[in-house]
Amino acid sequence: MSLKNKLNRLKPHISSGREKPEGKPLKKAEETPEIPFREVWEQEKVSPFYFDGQYCLVREVNYPLDHQHGDYQFGDLLEAVSLWNREKTLHPLSAAGHGPGDLIFFDTETTGLGGGAGNTIFLLGHASISGSSLNLKQHILPGPGSEVALYQSFLENVDYTTLVTYNGKAFDWPQVKTRHTLVRDHVPKLPAYGHFDLYHAARRMWKHKIERMKLSIVEQEVLGLERKDDIPGFLAPMIYFDFLERKNPEGLLGVIKHNETDILSLVTLYTHLSFQLLGRDQSRSAKETFEVGRWFSYLGESGKAKQTFSGLLNAGNEEEISAKHALAFEHKRQKEWGEAVSLWKECTEKGSAIQRLEASIELAKHYEHREKNLEIALRYCRLAENIHKDNHRSTKKDMKLTVELEKRLKRISRKQFPGQAQDSSN
Amino acid sequence: MKVRKSMQEILEDLKVSESVKRNIVHWHTIEEKEALTKDMPEDLSEILRSALERRGISRLYTHQKSSYEQIMKGQSIVAVTPTASGKTLCYNLPVLQSIINDPNARALYMFPTKALAQDQKSEINELIQEAELAINSYTYDGDTPSNIRQKVRRAGHIVITNPDMLHSAILPHHTKWVSLFENLKYVVIDELHIYRGVFGSHVANVIRRLKRICNYYGSDPVFVCTSATIANPLELAEGLTEKEMVLIDNNGAPSGRKHFLFYNPPVVNIPLNVRRSATLETRKLAGEFLKNKIQTIVFARSRVRVEILLTYLQELVKHKLGPKAIRGYRGGYLPTERREIEKGLRSGDIYGVVSTNALELGVDIGQLQVCIMNGYPGTIASAWQQAGRAGRRHGESVVIMVASSSPLDQYVIQNPDYFFNRSPETARINPDNLIILIDHIKCASYELPFKKGETFGAAEIEEILEYLTEERILHQNGDKWYWMNDAFPAHNISLRSASQENVVIIDQSDVANVRVIGEMDTFSAMTLLHEEAIYLHQGIQFQVEKLDWEEKKAFVREVDVDYFTDANLAVQLSVLEEDKHRGNEDTEIGFGDVSVRAMATIFKKIRFETHENIGSGPIFLPEEELHTSSAWISLNKELSEFGDDRLEEGLIGTSQALKHIAPLFVMCDPSDVHVVPQVKAAHNEKPTIFFYDRYPGGIGLSEKIYSGLEEILSQTKQMVKNCQCAEGCPSCIGTDTTSIHSKKDVVKILDLFLKAAM
Repeated sequence: MSLKNKLNRLKPHISSGREKPEGKPLKKAEETPEIPFREVWEQEKVSPFYFDGQYCLVREVNYPLDHQHGDYQFGDLLEAVSLWNREKTLHPLSAAGHGPGDLIFFDTETTGLGGGAGNTIFLLGHASISGSSLNLKQHILPGPGSEVALYQSFLENVDYTTLVTYNGKAFDWPQVKTRHTLVRDHVPKLPAYGHFDLYHAARRMWKHKIERMKLSIVEQEVLGLERKDDIPGFLAPMIYFDFLERKNPEGLLGVIKHNETDILSLVTLYTHLSFQLLGRDQSRSAKETFEVGRWFSYLGESGKAKQTFSGLLNAGNEEEISAKHALAFEHKRQKEWGEAVSLWKECTEKGSAIQRLEASIELAKHYEHREKNLEIALRYCRLAENIHKDNHRSTKKDMKLTVELEKRLKRISRKQFPGQAQDSSN
Repeated sequence: MKVRKSMQEILEDLKVSESVKRNIVHWHTIEEKEALTKDMPEDLSEILRSALERRGISRLYTHQKSSYEQIMKGQSIVAVTPTASGKTLCYNLPVLQSIINDPNARALYMFPTKALAQDQKSEINELIQEAELAINSYTYDGDTPSNIRQKVRRAGHIVITNPDMLHSAILPHHTKWVSLFENLKYVVIDELHIYRGVFGSHVANVIRRLKRICNYYGSDPVFVCTSATIANPLELAEGLTEKEMVLIDNNGAPSGRKHFLFYNPPVVNIPLNVRRSATLETRKLAGEFLKNKIQTIVFARSRVRVEILLTYLQELVKHKLGPKAIRGYRGGYLPTERREIEKGLRSGDIYGVVSTNALELGVDIGQLQVCIMNGYPGTIASAWQQAGRAGRRHGESVVIMVASSSPLDQYVIQNPDYFFNRSPETARINPDNLIILIDHIKCASYELPFKKGETFGAAEIEEILEYLTEERILHQNGDKWYWMNDAFPAHNISLRSASQENVVIIDQSDVANVRVIGEMDTFSAMTLLHEEAIYLHQGIQFQVEKLDWEEKKAFVREVDVDYFTDANLAVQLSVLEEDKHRGNEDTEIGFGDVSVRAMATIFKKIRFETHENIGSGPIFLPEEELHTSSAWISLNKELSEFGDDRLEEGLIGTSQALKHIAPLFVMCDPSDVHVVPQVKAAHNEKPTIFFYDRYPGGIGLSEKIYSGLEEILSQTKQMVKNCQCAEGCPSCIGTDTTSIHSKKDVVKILDLFLKAAM
């Protein structure tokens, strides 16, 4: 039996990678270095880059700095960078020490999800401020045999001081490294680089209101941007496979546009995040302000955190008490007990269950160890116990807390009434 | 006061005691063997030499020395070594020496299971520490924490892994392993004999991919394989690695005198040929040794048997030894617990262990005095592996195989010659099975594009590449084929089965602990896992409560019933193409491609012992089709003396008997080969018996049956004739036949086939 026949017989047993799409049979690969549909490409500001007998396609566009993209103009980035340079705060997004042109906004499109040697990058796009404009460049892989040209074109063009990406730490850049390894003997080395990953920043700031932190959703919810006729990213592989067969850039232009929007939005997003973090954004919501404070608190920037939380003290909304609660811990950190205690006391009355619980435990500790006022300590400890009882779920964490509270209660009682404390907790 | 008996005294008792003596059907003694040693190699570094000396090794066994010399010459080898003969030194020594010579050199060790990998890591690390070498050896498997994975990739001199991990995590991410692949000097494949059948065919392709990637990064590693005794270690190693190999089988490890006893429990019901339970007999024998504090290992075929025997034995010696002195050992125990048991066995604190075949593989437990097998382990090779657990280097040891009433056990125990004189099984692989090959071509394309003219190991693949291009999985550009699909192919391909779709068997007996206990190909599932079927898993009865055919899940619950189920499968088998043919005027034997279409129709409930039909029901499942390879034998002569009914019954009985024996000869699981009789085969209109591979496309079993059919027939005849039943029983020709002639007819038919086939 011929192999082809066998293969067809066995077909039901062979899992096909995907449904066979409708379409014309595959053409043999192009032999000539002719660039198919050259005039279409040229209309789209795309020109070839030749290297080592191969070529890739490069699209180059310049935007003036007063170009509006969402709620900001690209020129606002200059202000963001200079604000960082003035602030000198330690923050993972801080551009201190950099000029605006050092930030490379970067995004890729690939033929599959997840890492792995066989996942090809077919589009590398980046933008940066250059003089009085924002310069966008996209390097497009015309076919799988042209990666040397692609990476050559990409690497000789870019100075990677600092990349700004959306989830690029986990995805785009490792994949660039993977594919680069396959052509590393033919192209320049990958440089070391700094990295701002805005995906993680966005999660920190807006996870309270956005469930799936996709860039397009962030644009809509936060950046005042609505995409029109956007091609969803998950279709990009299919469109690229189709382009490989038909060579007509028609569909791929949509993906190129999508990539371009992603990159431009990164500029807006970085500007917006910087303005929020540095308090430059007047329209920052109470919730956002609170998240900014929490981030600084997490980073150990106690001064910035306090300053941010303080802005919410008379807000008269639900963030007010959260801010007071958080602020109390900042005071604790700096051993400013008076301020901390009065804030905690307020929290035990007005806070959410968790805040009331945490605050009363802190107060119990405070009165037991520092004030040595066992009576008040005991009172707060009992309060904590009651709050905990009402909200107890059978999680491990809750069980542990129950045990801890019991211990504390016993210890305080023992100190207070030595000799008869054994069953006072029941 | 009773004095403790020595092993010799117990052996004497066995010979004398009436109740035991008559059950010992064979007593085989293997004489002791002196150690054969050689000087340490000249070029061995002083660091290693003195480290070994501190561990009490000042000379090497002959096979260790030969391995060292060949490997250091750059020659790939396969070393055949019995249990506990110091095989790890065969590869650890040259590997460590090579890394001392060139600190950039890397080695990849592959073990079939994670547990073995862990063991080997500890062993090699002990030697590395003793020698105070700066050599990193790490395991890389599903348990490796992500924070040290990077370190393993970058700086591991010796990376210890398993084939599944190589297939799905290392090769598809080879760009992260550049320093390993650029400097890969050795690939060590331990327990080579495990890689046979479907699994072996997959692993052979994984190795093709590995070699392809090595070639890309400019390395060409030496392959070092070690194997238990099988008939064709060299052929298997060369087939698996597609490298020229040298066989090293000059085992120099010493061994003491060993007694090998075949023990057949007495028949308690003569017409039905029912024997006393092997488990109870095992308990009696093992108890005798354990009561006298003689270190004993008991092998049982299932996890449940392990637990049952363990309970029995602990009860038996509770007052003498304490319960901790006898332990169970099987998959499902925690690694720390296993380590503790292994240590206890080595130190002698633990007297007895009851184990599944988990202890058959190379875990170091020292050497015990007695090994008792509760039932024949299924293959000669694994029986010898288990037997190897008993046997001190000095002094005597005993191995007792207690037969169950299964036909296989009975055949083996009644034919000691078969066991002792026949070479052990041949391990077969078929890396070019199309289904398997295509799976790995996909993975390989994902890893690196194929060039025109490139072969994949020995396989010609251009047609396959073109096929995959037509299927829009690859894209041809110039003279290269590129992966152009958004999938990650290795994730959908399991090395441990051929067909992608298996029915998963889920035990929901314990609601709090629902677990998967096995899987089965869809074809077999139709008759074995239909709803209400009694499914036997390692000796326990389960009833199938629900079969979700769409989702391919069978939900079962443990039951205790006195019947089994038997489903009727309407099988239509047609020959598509005949590739090989031989025969004479009386018979024809063929081999080729067949299409098997099967539909389960009804099932019967059949009571044990009486075999009465106590109920039946319909099965509603769609027809399944399987294309595979098959061997068949047809009779040309008119069988006028038989009526149609008797001919049919005779053929059914013959197939049943052949079904038991055929797997013995091709070293496969009994369910890997199906046997189907046809009174009038569609392709030649003659009475025919077909053997076919259960896996789509075939994995070479039928082909082997084709070439060895005569022997299978004559062994089958012998088994049927020797069976003590009168008119056929489940131990020989099965119970589908009802006529009193059946057994005679089967022998006649086998005779006819044989006469003709000679």
